[in-house]
Amino acid sequence: MELIDELTIREQLDVHALRAEFPILERQVHGKPLIYLDNAATAQRPLKVIEAVDRFYREYNANVHRGVHQLSGEASEAFERSRRDVARLLNAPSEREVIFTRGTTEAINLVANSFLRPRLEAGDEILISHMEHHSNIVPWQMLCEQTGAVLKVIPINQNGELLIDALDDLISERTRLLGLVHVSNALGTVNPVQEVCAIAKRQGVPVLIDGAQATPHEKVDVQALGCDFYAMSAHKMYGPTGIGALWGREALLEAMPPWQGGGEMILRVSFDETTYNELPHKFEAGTPNISGAIGLGAAVRFLEDTGLDAIAHHEKKLLDYATEQMQQFEGLTIIGQAEQKGPVIAFTLDGVHPNDIGTIIDHHGVAIRTGHHCAMPVMQFFEVPATARVSFAAYNLRTEIDVFLEALDKARTMLV
Amino acid sequence: MALDQLYQQLVLEHNRSPRNFGPLAGATHSARGFDALCGDDLLFELRVEAGRVVAAAFSGEACAVTKASASLLTEWLPSHGRDEVEQGLRNFNVVLQGVEPPDPGFLGDFARLGGLAEFPSRQRNAKLPWRCALEALEA
Repeated sequence: MELIDELTIREQLDVHALRAEFPILERQVHGKPLIYLDNAATAQRPLKVIEAVDRFYREYNANVHRGVHQLSGEASEAFERSRRDVARLLNAPSEREVIFTRGTTEAINLVANSFLRPRLEAGDEILISHMEHHSNIVPWQMLCEQTGAVLKVIPINQNGELLIDALDDLISERTRLLGLVHVSNALGTVNPVQEVCAIAKRQGVPVLIDGAQATPHEKVDVQALGCDFYAMSAHKMYGPTGIGALWGREALLEAMPPWQGGGEMILRVSFDETTYNELPHKFEAGTPNISGAIGLGAAVRFLEDTGLDAIAHHEKKLLDYATEQMQQFEGLTIIGQAEQKGPVIAFTLDGVHPNDIGTIIDHHGVAIRTGHHCAMPVMQFFEVPATARVSFAAYNLRTEIDVFLEALDKARTMLV
Repeated sequence: MALDQLYQQLVLEHNRSPRNFGPLAGATHSARGFDALCGDDLLFELRVEAGRVVAAAFSGEACAVTKASASLLTEWLPSHGRDEVEQGLRNFNVVLQGVEPPDPGFLGDFARLGGLAEFPSRQRNAKLPWRCALEALEA
């Protein structure tokens, strides 16, 4: 047997067994079996995550790091175990470098306010790309408004790929940070993060990576990538909403002032002076989202048990099949045709507005996202008011893509 | 099927062949309606004489529901003044609740859009042209 076949077999995912772990996949929508193709907006949750959250509330609900009693000890242990899970997922050198946040957006805002703001002067520059999610645009714009700094944008080409050659000219001695999305939610593009980080590092520019769409689909290694900050959300990778994490280099995090004040982030408080807590607690003011963090840890272990290689392999097959079928679909244009793509296909259909596509195929049980996908500059670049988007997860099936295409055909018949 | 009530012949036909679509000669009032979430982007133009609309037209890109509503509205608006347009939107809101409006004749074809009651997420589309027309009249 050839090596490639052995590899294929080893990477095979038992999708039907996996689907059994997701109770929501059994439900019907408008009398049809649910076909959930809106995973880039949020993925569904496996029993392991649902049960981990449920068990916390049933068996050991208590505040963390505050009590001497048994329950508080158990809750703190589970909470910190999740931090170790996230550190392992990202191959972070230390769990002290993992800060729990509400999600990717808050992680980026933390870096904007605690890391960048104190070192930003009028005329300094922040560099991002044309394919960023609003969460990696607006925090920097707000900072620019307040400090007189300037936002600069790395262009993209018609395939939706980063024009990396433009980077050398765009980075100047005034560039204070480069923010880049790892995998674009609106186009699917997987950016050459390692290469970008190497270029930025040569010029001494710190790099923040928005990894919201990357962690569910591929192995992320922050040390190999060479970035300085990495932001992620649990709910894109089968975990709960309202929880995510920021990874940052320890030396940078140590030097950063706290962002929010309150309990947990202090060691000692008097009216004259407050001593801040150590990493990572310095950045976690107030009672955290404990059940969320525990669910996030369960999601990490779910990804590890399922195998990210097997997931990536399965999703690539879905992406290739769907791309091939959609390219043959009359009047359909795929927006975002990068060489390296995550399992996301954005598209438009002649004569049918994305909003109508979304409504009509919902009545065939198919859930997709329509609109601007929180990436309006991408819509402007491709001169479309909106797109429809299918995005795949580990539990999706090839037959679901067939049903989606049949439903799409019905939408076209109805409206054109 | 509820879907057929949303995409009824009236809506499909106005979506395919919108009335008064394009720039309006001699427009005196205009407003742009934008729905960032779904990407509707309309320009509503009116010619107003002595406080009453005498002609209306729209242009832009929008979904079938918005387009049909805009098209219907350009037919409904002439002879009406600002207060009546406000009254029209109030009555249309009643239709969107799935209830017979007070004076169905006043609303014309809009009284037939009760199918939208089952699609709360699409009602904003049907109302966008009305908001646009009102904003144009306020200007």
